[in-house]
Amino acid sequence: MKRRSFLHRTGLLAGGASISSLAQRASATPTVAHFPKGKAEHCIYLWLGGGMAQVDTFDPKAKGDSSANPKKPGSEYDSIETAVPGLRFTEHLSRSAKLAERLTVVRSVNHHVIDEHAFATNLVHTGRIISGSTTYPSLGSIISHARGAVNPTVPAYILIGYPNVSRGPGFLGSKAGFVYLTDTESGPAGFSRPKGVDSERAARRQALLVPLSNRVVTDSVPAQYLEAQREALRLAGPEFMHHFNLSQESADLRESYGGEFGQRCLLARRLVQAGVRFIEVSHNLNFINGTGWDTHNEGQKNQHILIHELDVALSALLSDLEQKKLLDKTLVVVATEFGRPAAYDGRGGRGHQGTAFSMVLAGGGLRHTGSYGVTDELSKNVVENPVSVPDFLATIFATLGIDPHMDIYDGARPVPITDMGKPIEKLFV
Amino acid sequence: MKTPFLYFPPYLIVGVFFTLLLSFASAASETAAEAPSKNAPKTILQWKFDGAKEAGEWQGALGKGDGLQEGPLPDRYPGFEKGNKAGYFQDKDAFLVVKDRERGGSTDVRFALGDTFFFETWVKIKEIKPGETSYLIGKGRHGKLGVNLGEMNQNYAVRLKGANEGAEIGFLFTSIDPAQKGKRDWHRWTSKQRIPASGWHHLSVTYTFGKKDSLAVRIDNQITEGIWDMGGATDLGPVTDADDLVIGTGYQRSAAESFTGWLDNLTLSRGAPDPVELEKRYTFIPPPPPVNRQMIPTGQVLVQISEKGVPEANAWPEAPEVTESFTEDVFGLFDLPQKYISTGVRGDRANPCHIRASAVVTIPAGKHRILLRSRGASRLYIDGKQLLENPFPPNDPAGHHTLSMQDDYLDLGPGFRFAPPGNRDAWCEFTSTGGEQFVILETLIGGIMGKSKHRPELGETVVAISPEGSEHWSILSPGKRQVAYTDAGWNAYAQERRTRLDAMDTKARAEKRAEHAAYWNMRRKAAEEWLTKVTPISIPKLPEGYPAQNPIDHFIADRIVQAKEDAKLATSASVDYFKEVRPLLEAKCYGCHQGGKAKGKLRLDIHETALKGGKSDGPSVVPGDPDESSLILRISPDAGDDIMPPKEAPFTAEQIALLTRWIKEGAPWPQFDVKRFDMMPLAEDLVFLRRVFLDIVGVPPSEKEIAQFQNDPVESRRTLVIDRLLQDSRWADHWMDLWQDALAENPNILNPTLNNTGPFRWWLYESLLDNKPADLFVTELLRMEGSERFGGPAGFAIASQNDVPMAAKGMIVSGTFLGVEMKCARCHDSTTNVSKQRDLFELAAMMEQAAIQVPATSSVPLDRLQQTGREPLIEITLEPGANVEPAWPFPQFIKEEAASTLAENPQSSRDRLAALITAPENQRFAQVIVNRLWERLMGRGLVSTLEDWEKTEPSHPELLAWLGQELVRQKYDMKAIARLILNSHAYQRAVDPQLTETSPLFLATAPRRLTAEQIVDSLFSATGAPFDVEEFSLDIDSVRDLKNSITLGKPRRAWMLASTSNERDRPSLTLPRVQAVASLMETFGWRGARQDPVHHREINPNVLQSAILANGTVGVWLTGLSDRHSITQLALSVKSPEELVDRLFLRLLTRHPDAAEKESYTAYLENGFADRIVPESDRPKPAQAKHAPPLYVSWSNHLDGPANTLATDNQEAARLGDPPTTALREEWRKNLEDVIWAMLNATEWIYSS
Repeated sequence: MKRRSFLHRTGLLAGGASISSLAQRASATPTVAHFPKGKAEHCIYLWLGGGMAQVDTFDPKAKGDSSANPKKPGSEYDSIETAVPGLRFTEHLSRSAKLAERLTVVRSVNHHVIDEHAFATNLVHTGRIISGSTTYPSLGSIISHARGAVNPTVPAYILIGYPNVSRGPGFLGSKAGFVYLTDTESGPAGFSRPKGVDSERAARRQALLVPLSNRVVTDSVPAQYLEAQREALRLAGPEFMHHFNLSQESADLRESYGGEFGQRCLLARRLVQAGVRFIEVSHNLNFINGTGWDTHNEGQKNQHILIHELDVALSALLSDLEQKKLLDKTLVVVATEFGRPAAYDGRGGRGHQGTAFSMVLAGGGLRHTGSYGVTDELSKNVVENPVSVPDFLATIFATLGIDPHMDIYDGARPVPITDMGKPIEKLFV
Repeated sequence: MKTPFLYFPPYLIVGVFFTLLLSFASAASETAAEAPSKNAPKTILQWKFDGAKEAGEWQGALGKGDGLQEGPLPDRYPGFEKGNKAGYFQDKDAFLVVKDRERGGSTDVRFALGDTFFFETWVKIKEIKPGETSYLIGKGRHGKLGVNLGEMNQNYAVRLKGANEGAEIGFLFTSIDPAQKGKRDWHRWTSKQRIPASGWHHLSVTYTFGKKDSLAVRIDNQITEGIWDMGGATDLGPVTDADDLVIGTGYQRSAAESFTGWLDNLTLSRGAPDPVELEKRYTFIPPPPPVNRQMIPTGQVLVQISEKGVPEANAWPEAPEVTESFTEDVFGLFDLPQKYISTGVRGDRANPCHIRASAVVTIPAGKHRILLRSRGASRLYIDGKQLLENPFPPNDPAGHHTLSMQDDYLDLGPGFRFAPPGNRDAWCEFTSTGGEQFVILETLIGGIMGKSKHRPELGETVVAISPEGSEHWSILSPGKRQVAYTDAGWNAYAQERRTRLDAMDTKARAEKRAEHAAYWNMRRKAAEEWLTKVTPISIPKLPEGYPAQNPIDHFIADRIVQAKEDAKLATSASVDYFKEVRPLLEAKCYGCHQGGKAKGKLRLDIHETALKGGKSDGPSVVPGDPDESSLILRISPDAGDDIMPPKEAPFTAEQIALLTRWIKEGAPWPQFDVKRFDMMPLAEDLVFLRRVFLDIVGVPPSEKEIAQFQNDPVESRRTLVIDRLLQDSRWADHWMDLWQDALAENPNILNPTLNNTGPFRWWLYESLLDNKPADLFVTELLRMEGSERFGGPAGFAIASQNDVPMAAKGMIVSGTFLGVEMKCARCHDSTTNVSKQRDLFELAAMMEQAAIQVPATSSVPLDRLQQTGREPLIEITLEPGANVEPAWPFPQFIKEEAASTLAENPQSSRDRLAALITAPENQRFAQVIVNRLWERLMGRGLVSTLEDWEKTEPSHPELLAWLGQELVRQKYDMKAIARLILNSHAYQRAVDPQLTETSPLFLATAPRRLTAEQIVDSLFSATGAPFDVEEFSLDIDSVRDLKNSITLGKPRRAWMLASTSNERDRPSLTLPRVQAVASLMETFGWRGARQDPVHHREINPNVLQSAILANGTVGVWLTGLSDRHSITQLALSVKSPEELVDRLFLRLLTRHPDAAEKESYTAYLENGFADRIVPESDRPKPAQAKHAPPLYVSWSNHLDGPANTLATDNQEAARLGDPPTTALREEWRKNLEDVIWAMLNATEWIYSS
């Protein structure tokens, strides 16, 4: 059997098995609605779990003061100019500011779910409120399902972070699932050989497997499993695993990306080159400030270090992609479950706010103008061009050339991939 | 309440009534000058909370007259009468407002310079947080909430200030200085003594304004000290104005300053009673000793559980009332027997709950060390004297504890067992004079935490002793049993006690069930009667040449013979129905013409209905006559606008020709896609044995179990092993996944928000252990009683963040128990099934026991239906906002009236629903249940779509009907049906390895993909590698409230896992070991988060499955030969490499190696076999670790940097697994590991044969 068709049949890697059936179904249900069609091939989805404070990052407002009595709401930091005239970020995003022409801060994202991390995280990943009658797939799974991997010999969807149902394939099933790694050191679960197993020992082990495998009747279901097993063992070999070897990059480049989060971004770029379709990168590191992006109370104090880390990694990623001529075909997204209010909490941190917050789109061949949508003077409400979560996801899908109204099937039930999301037309030339 | 005689001595009563009358009747102004002398106090306000109208009005949500609850009662409080009521003040939800006389009030509540203020009340605190100040009474300072006179106008206020275990008394007023232009100032006095946090107490405050030293505050008759800590004492008078007097809350009426508790006999007087009198106000007769030496069985610890008389407060109850007791051997507690309610489902105990353990212990003379350890607050008494105490648990630090706080721990010598997370220690030296001493340990579990509660856990509640002269500790014991209080000692003890508790629980459930025997006997009788009325399904005669082990085989053989007949016709035709015709119909027609809701009432998926045709065109297929077959007419291009399919690409000419030819040839339509009718023989013994173990208990047999089977007589060994396994408690473990999936059991260990349920797994598990009859099982589920958060069926009722939880549950119930698919009906009428949205909502309303209003979010907006411009596939016939009353939506199965005679409580719509589903008349239920058992054991359902019987027809309708009746005959015993199936020849036949799915005639079964649970459990069970994952909780030290965090215990089998609740994506909130197992299971189709029910899991092979087995963390644990791995022991004990290989095969794969395998592995292990064992003297001694408790990460400290680092270290440690054994030489050990690796990656772990 040819590798391509095999990979499709044994699932997981490409998700392309469903393309033919999708095509059939698509022809059965012609869509009338127009959608702008982007040409991006890959998506890197940077996840800022906890809720990035838009007023302290991409949507700066007049400066506040948490030590005043009463506390004065506002941004924590000074703002600076960016490469886009009139557009300002906070001072800790100085590198990204220089690249502002290559990105669009969507400042008017909003939702109304309760301020609870798990629930909002689920919404921003699936675009839907949970229903109890099905489990919705994440955008990574939808994109993998719709487009498969760019290179059919690698997985379509890789997650650098922790597995959870919000990131999972839901009703699409494991074919649309992810391969995950929790850090750049340990490599992808299932493909990194355990310590003490070098390639020689692995070969000996595989030889020992032969008599057992020989008992399996050809053309049987267990034989299909054996095929998948052979493929898995191949992936554990150098041909695939070298993509995860960051030491193949120059020291300068590695350094320019910064710490572990930056290294994850660099790995994401390598995976783009390897032909992975969708990579989610979690910025959940070290809790430098105690709380990560969930900057309640004292978590606010060292928030600038987190922002700085994001700035270094994001700017390095965008520059690197651009230099390698990958930026136009790679959509980079900075996403988070909600924002935070300009007002301070009792101990000088910030609570949660879903009614207005920022997410970032960069590269992907979109027509970037630095920002989209406007919030009021304390970024509490959207005053111009509101973007719902389904709209935001629809924009990502459209950038990757996927019709945001496309149906996917939960058994026999058609489920549009977004809940009536409309892409931000302005971003498409 | 009635006036208690002690409270108002007789000589005063007249006066009291007189002044009361006077104050209500007259509005005459009373100034300080007119105040009665201090010996003749004048009552101006008195709330007795007995329902009588008094000055002031109840306010707030709770304040509408239902604020009366039980007050102080005799005999404990002799001043009160039976039935006495008190006022209940819940937070800001209840308070009293008394208007100033100037604003229409009936009495003068102002106190001016020279007035003697006297306030008294009985008070019982429910909850007060440390530092919080709540108002008992306050006049003025109400700002806009009052009459807008500003906020510096406090005439007077008596407040409570929360402290540890009680509350300080505060007296507060605003002074006014006429000499300084009316300058106002605050004056605050705070007591040193406290009102205890539990029980009724008496409080009085006497103060004469203008006399700075006149303040006298008494708690329970005793004057308490205190200081003026703000503004100092003053001779100035107070501000008086027309602002309100408010009882029970403060100036902002917020929760923080509102009193939560009870007040009684609250009195405000001008002028104070005689001080001598005041010292008699509080009368209390302590309860008799709750336990005495005579009650204690010799040599035993008596454990008494008190659920009554324990107030909802973080305080010691005055008179806990024992509701249950049992005995223990020693003073070591970690769990209580479960509390069961109703027919034996887990309930919740009162929270908090008081536990007392008492024993007469002989403690030799000497100076010993004594340790008291507990999770809840605890106290230890010896011979009536309190020796030690542990405090109430701390509040949730919201993640801000630091790891370094764990550097502070109690270490009392070598081998000392450190306090596990979330337990507190106290110790002392105790001098015994020798002989018997009466020891009492009491503890409170659970407790109040804001509006929620602590989890009711004992943690490790222990009294331990280290006798004089010894370094070692043992658990205090009144008898012979000695338990060393070391890690090993405790673990062995806890394990043994766990078994005992389980047995106690089993017995308790049986007793509860027995209480309902009358009703269930009636049900059994009704079922028997029904059986006498229906025509029994007759068992067909066995066709010649077919094997049979029981009636099932008769049905199966009979069907094969029929199918053979059908097939004869088909084989004579040139067109293959299954290869050519059906795929075409499936692709082009089934979309609309399949199942119960076929368009135009035309079903093309069933032979009979295709012949009959739909409502418009006449017969669809007329065998032999294509011209008369409307199918051909409608698909041909001549059909014009009527052409089918209406929108998709039309049939091609070739396709039409094919169908025409097929019809011409007689339209052969065999029911089964079977060409060969040869039946597989019985599987070999060992193959059968492995299969039957996996199917009944979920794991393969051990070497011992294999030997036991082989020692049984050949003719009966199969029946014997089936009977043995059906008695095995592992049955319950193995069948969990079916119900967890079908019922969408979806607990979350952290903040449940993702359509989560309670962990009703524990009820499921106990139901399986008890082999509850199916009808009782369903009845308990539908009653949804018991504990919501700790494992009762009430947990099933929960669907967090769901707009109509009961609609979600109705959908689950209809699919799982009736084979009626209602998923679509959740938001609109079903497109493919007959169920309408109203049907589902009627069912939901039955479960809700009330009408349900359809929310807009449970409907599809019309604009969405039209959005794509195509004809909407779905219909909405139930308007959002409609009110749907409870009603039985399935009259086709049984008439609703039947519930009136069959339900235990016909008034309850849940009981009615349960009766209607499980009634014998409703054979749909019985058949759905047997079909589930059949599918699980045979690999294919008699109705293949388990949850949707509209979609497919039964392959063996007679067998299904017979099994359904059999279930009734067997008193709904699911194991009895399983036994039937397992004993059939059909089940015991050999697998045909080339089949991709089991033969619909059950001639042979296909290799069956094992479930994720079977795979994981089998791997661990067979290798003996420890299944050692973390306690499944992100709050192991129990600081969070029970609504936000639970523990799922320490999993010992795969079904005990669940979602790791990792949405926060924080390294410090991971459970790396659980995650490793969960990741493996998820690749095999298990779901940690079960937001919706699943009836068929995904079973296709994928790359990640074998990858994660080959290289993943679990693979490392399974292959790594550590000292804890049981193959290490095997390797040390065998005599030859041949023996090792033989036994490995038997142990792991339940078979003998074939020649190639034996040769290959023996050769690999031969080299170095002889000197594989490292002599004990040469083994490196394990490094002596510092004696210190292991550090832990939990919610309490997860925001701390070092805690985060520890979490990532733990991940790394999990990846590495246990260190390798030093007993085997490294090189040879590695070779053996390679062999094990190969054997564990064989497909035999994935597919059952």
